[in-house]
Amino acid sequence: MASFTASSISFTPLSSSLNLNKGLAKSSVSLSINGISFPSHGLKSVSRRFSVSCAAKPETVDKVCEIVRKQLAIQPDVAVSGDSKFAALGADSLDTVEIVMGLEEEFGISVEEESAQTIATVQDAADLIENLVEKKGSA
Amino acid sequence: MAAASPSRPEILSLFRSLLRTSRQFSDYNIREYSKRRTIDAFRLNKHATDPSAAFADGKSQLEVAKRQALVYSLYAPKVKSIMELNH
Repeated sequence: MASFTASSISFTPLSSSLNLNKGLAKSSVSLSINGISFPSHGLKSVSRRFSVSCAAKPETVDKVCEIVRKQLAIQPDVAVSGDSKFAALGADSLDTVEIVMGLEEEFGISVEEESAQTIATVQDAADLIENLVEKKGSA
Repeated sequence: MAAASPSRPEILSLFRSLLRTSRQFSDYNIREYSKRRTIDAFRLNKHATDPSAAFADGKSQLEVAKRQALVYSLYAPKVKSIMELNH
């Protein structure tokens, strides 16, 4: 819960000082702007890119990694983490569709067409799953 | 009447619809078979130069699958297949 609220606070400072931080976004992750000092530790979402997605739970990421590993028959010594891109792991578009289907079955959610086409990394998938599970839980 | 050549999103969308429809079968064997068959067929035609014939075939199969899933659900057996029991 705490992490969710904290990340929603981050939206305002980032968008208001968008122009200033554009150049810095790649290297710095300090978000102490407008007086709101935002602790960037402990939140996986504060990555180098400008993606302001809420962090997905590690268990979700692990489950996703497991499914990806099984689908693509990845060797046990190859690391699969949140940042792994499906294409880099040797998946083509058919594999990606199969992986999304597997994730749908595992988590009992239903992913739409457009959302499914934007998934490129393990982290994307985990975040999407978290959103859908939350929406389903609160529905 | 069919499009000149199906685009990648269309093909992926057909793949997804076929897999979704396969999931709805109540019979374990038919469910697994449909999943396997669609995956194999799409992989077989992965490098085809002109996918329109395969795409049209896939679409008609999708119609068949949808109808059959409905019909099978009307006569679903009460006893589950043994393969579905222990996870």
